[in-house]
Amino acid sequence: MVDLARDEHVARIERTALTVAEAENLSKVYRRGDEEVRAVDGISFRIDEGEFVAVVGPSGAGKSTLLQLLGGMDTPTSGNLRLAGRELSGMGDGELTRLRRGFVGFVFQHFGLVPTLTVAENVALPCLFSHCDSREAKSRVDSLLERVGLTQRRKHSPAHLSGGEMQRVAIARALVNSPKLLLADEPTGNLDSQTSARILELLHELNGDGLTVVVVTHNESLAAAAERRITLRDGKIVENAS
Amino acid sequence: MIGTLHLISANLLRRRMRSGVTVAGVAVAVAALFSLVSFQRGYHSGLKGELDRLGAHLLVVPKGCPYDAASIALHGASWPCYLKSAYLDTVRKTPHVAVGAPVFMSAVYNPATGAQTVYCGTEPDIVALKRVWHIQGRFPGAGELLIGSETAKANGWTVGKTVAMPGLEHRNGRISGVIGPTQGADDLFIYIPLADAQKLFKKPGQLTHILVRLDDPEQVDSVVKDLRGCDAGLEMNVVPLGHLFKTIEDLVRSTRLLLGCVALVALLAAGAGVSNTILMAVVERTREIGVLRAVGASRGDVFRLIWAETVALCLAGGIVGVLAAIAGARGVEGWLRARLPFAPGGALVQTEASVVLFCIAGALLLGLFAGTLPAWRAARLSPVEAIRSAGGNR
Repeated sequence: MVDLARDEHVARIERTALTVAEAENLSKVYRRGDEEVRAVDGISFRIDEGEFVAVVGPSGAGKSTLLQLLGGMDTPTSGNLRLAGRELSGMGDGELTRLRRGFVGFVFQHFGLVPTLTVAENVALPCLFSHCDSREAKSRVDSLLERVGLTQRRKHSPAHLSGGEMQRVAIARALVNSPKLLLADEPTGNLDSQTSARILELLHELNGDGLTVVVVTHNESLAAAAERRITLRDGKIVENAS
Repeated sequence: MIGTLHLISANLLRRRMRSGVTVAGVAVAVAALFSLVSFQRGYHSGLKGELDRLGAHLLVVPKGCPYDAASIALHGASWPCYLKSAYLDTVRKTPHVAVGAPVFMSAVYNPATGAQTVYCGTEPDIVALKRVWHIQGRFPGAGELLIGSETAKANGWTVGKTVAMPGLEHRNGRISGVIGPTQGADDLFIYIPLADAQKLFKKPGQLTHILVRLDDPEQVDSVVKDLRGCDAGLEMNVVPLGHLFKTIEDLVRSTRLLLGCVALVALLAAGAGVSNTILMAVVERTREIGVLRAVGASRGDVFRLIWAETVALCLAGGIVGVLAAIAGARGVEGWLRARLPFAPGGALVQTEASVVLFCIAGALLLGLFAGTLPAWRAARLSPVEAIRSAGGNR
């Protein structure tokens, strides 16, 4: 009996160490006037460390809502969602902010760069809020810009970059606080196929380095390149396949 | 790498025209406040300085408006009414009168140059009154002149020179002394012996006013009562200068209060303008604020950022306003002098460090108040809703 209980405990610890996100019967319900919209409707899944997951489905299926829940930008209406072993339900704004700051990196379809800042400053922006040492921030920014191939563009304004370059800046910014989980919402939605392929390559490289990547996409080649595909329809998982 | 200040300035410089107009609005209000407070300080110390320079506690003038009389006695002009010299003895014999200095004042206009020269005929007693005077040379005897510093400097006159008396044809005088700078009207006057002045302007035995210094300033009321009750009392007006200046200051104060209200309304309007500008900026940057929240900015971070932007705008407005007011102080002073019924000598608009700090602090406070609403609105934006919004930049 005692041995069994200890084995279960050890298994849970090992599982927590490997599991980046775990949802059980997760729901997110919005009210639109009198209408109740179940954007995410009682879904359960697990994402392990180092996975590359594509979330696909038609518009309005709840993909972006799921991504926002995974990123601690919103809290579930019901069910459980654990990130890094911590339950999100009931977390206050401060705790969610800390989670976003240290554990998650976001990449948006619209890039979300601050137009008045240079490329390097945009990448360094999260450091301003995590209060990291300026030398350390500079070194991280330099290394990330090199990684995304934009060292020469570090002093440029976002207005002078192509769509692909802007998305690479956004990816570098998402990585500057060394997150465990990279969440990308339609990262190639505004890019041509050639540029999309380069972004996909970059995401693959990052995943190869051990970063867990979850991508919401309509791009079939991006979805096909993922290790696992979660297909949503009307807020429910209709396929969860490797 | 990137600091909060850099982020704030980058945001403010994004819409230069709008930020500029907002700063200008605050600057106008702060400049008005600064000018008003500086004027209050300058006017008060100017009046006090006039009293000190005059050295008299009472002014005895012919019957008429005491304010006109004081203005003429202090700043110099031709006097339309006269006192008999005989009254001087009555004044001097009144208890507690330490010094009674007779003055015959006349202004001479030179149509050729457009310049006005003020001649004051007086007696050596006046030196006991004018404690701020430092005479290089001595008090003038018959046919001699005692020159104010500005007049001496403007004409290149020095002690010992014999000069043509300005505005008077075929009249010369030898300079017996030059009065050191007093920062008052005395700097422009030419003092001559009383008998010379009465003769020159054909008013023998007549005075324009008598300056009176008391042995005890607390006895002003009793001396005024005695002088008004004497035989000559019906012919002269006894003006306690302390009371007169207080009355003048009270009159100006009521105008100042009105102007103060206008400045306050301007400041509030500027605050509302700043608040509105930042609110608009928050609406435009909704998506960007959402992105900031997504990359780790807390509600407090967003609040502080927007608040600091507002404070920065107001501080900039405050600094520009104070600098503009200092730069325009001469113009304001000239404008005020032309309109005030009585303006003391010296700087009417006095620039003091404490007033500068007061106005900058006012602008800072305005920023703190004006920024609260937009900062609160920005901070309570849900990151999800903000990112979904159509506004903002890519």
